[in-house]
Amino acid sequence: MDMLVFAGASVVKIAVVMVTVLLTVAVLTLAERKVLSWMQDRMGPMEVGPYGILQPIADGIKLFFKEDIIPSGANWVLFSLAPIISLIPAFIGFAVVPYGPNIEYELYGVTIKPFIITDINIGILYILAFTSIGAYGVILGGWASNNKYSLLGGLRAAAQVISYELNVGLAIIGVIILSGSLSMVTIAEKQAGGILNWNIIGMGHGLGIWWWIPVTQVVGFVVYVISSVAETNRLPFDLPEADSELVAGWMTEYSGMRFAFFFMAEYANMILVSCIASVLFLGGYHAPYPGTLFPGILGYFEGIAWFTVKVYGFLFLFFWIRATLPRLRYDQLMRFGWKVMLPLALANIVITSIVVYFLR
Amino acid sequence: MTVADLVKTFTFYEILIGMKATITVFIQRIILRNRKAVTLQYPHEKRDLPGTYRGMIALLKYDDETEKCVGCDLCEAACPSRVITVISAEVEGEPMKRYAREYYMDMTRCLFCGLCVDACPVDALAMTKEFAWARYNKRDLRLDKQQLLALGDRNFPEREKKLEFQHPNVAYFNIGHKNLPSKAS
Repeated sequence: MDMLVFAGASVVKIAVVMVTVLLTVAVLTLAERKVLSWMQDRMGPMEVGPYGILQPIADGIKLFFKEDIIPSGANWVLFSLAPIISLIPAFIGFAVVPYGPNIEYELYGVTIKPFIITDINIGILYILAFTSIGAYGVILGGWASNNKYSLLGGLRAAAQVISYELNVGLAIIGVIILSGSLSMVTIAEKQAGGILNWNIIGMGHGLGIWWWIPVTQVVGFVVYVISSVAETNRLPFDLPEADSELVAGWMTEYSGMRFAFFFMAEYANMILVSCIASVLFLGGYHAPYPGTLFPGILGYFEGIAWFTVKVYGFLFLFFWIRATLPRLRYDQLMRFGWKVMLPLALANIVITSIVVYFLR
Repeated sequence: MTVADLVKTFTFYEILIGMKATITVFIQRIILRNRKAVTLQYPHEKRDLPGTYRGMIALLKYDDETEKCVGCDLCEAACPSRVITVISAEVEGEPMKRYAREYYMDMTRCLFCGLCVDACPVDALAMTKEFAWARYNKRDLRLDKQQLLALGDRNFPEREKKLEFQHPNVAYFNIGHKNLPSKAS
């Protein structure tokens, strides 16, 4: 009975999260085109439905019914496997993201946390591990296509993801030092009590008489955001895709639903890194003021609303950066990753550790 | 490198300026609503073409429904792309008058330079503002005389009088109505 209740509750939570994420992906495909066009004096999609709001549905139907082409020289197994390898890690990371307050309900004798699928104590490590697997999809897809553009895109993706995964990992270590935990829930909980306690400002992390010193993680935040843009292969770091040089990079030979899988994986990854950034640096579901305005159930939804606002803020930042910046050259990308981001992340770790060690 | 340059580098100053530019446009479009898109929804709204727009070429008629073309072949001679083919013939019973029995324009080759329009002595050719002429079969773009006349009918409903009714000089010297420079006395 206990197992059944637990499994049922988990399935419900997973279904809700998956539907939300997929809906957000659909919204994002439209929102990106609209935001870009508004910033570039254009209109964006206007044909399907009023102001083009039904465009994601039209795109979905189109991709679903498109011919599924496998190039004659392609490695069939890897070619089919690559989109799946891309998509699953992009979705699986949402299992440990806390969307709302850390509360517990007793349901038929089983303790259930309604606003997180599973609170495992190494949540952030789990996400890092799985998003790294997502890079395999890109590399394998590029190799298996038997196309020089795809291969070049895959190679670039390999180098880029390795370089910037490192920076993502190092950028969040400051937060982990402050929180003393790898659990996403604990990290979010430690930032309760207003905007000053968010890790980006970094006060109130138990420094005793030195409580007024902000252990700011703003360097880690900037490094994380830039590196996560690079990790999701978005402009200005979209070298694996690079429309103007490599046709469509590793996606050149993909069509139909396989292409849609890559597309969904890219947007799901964007949502995931936005969720992580808001949980790690901007206090997750905590409001910028202490506590909640509404009591009880409404307070929970207030937390979810704040989390949503933060995530969508990050997604808007993604679009904004894409509308503004041109693509980096390959050597600039590597130099920026290894010679600028990496030392900044390391310096952030060193300074945070020193402050925490001597002042706490 | 001065200190100011260093500070600019570390704060991504130039990038922030660019991002300010894009967000300014965004706010003007969405929040202030004082900025419009420069693009048009093409099939639904079309821009005003300039009066000198060089679109599809049409053959014209006089106001009594007779063709202007006298079959002189000057357009064919002027055409740099050999678009035009004129087969001219005498008017039945009037040996002094000629007309174009067949008139073809292969618009796949046309580069819309307007030299034929300039060359025509009787202003029988004109350039319309039509441009949406995509066809599934490229042979559909080899227009014959009826199609070219139809283009003229559709785009220039106001027709000119016959030459002899326009002005005595025009009738006798056949110079069209170009504004010729006056001779220095």
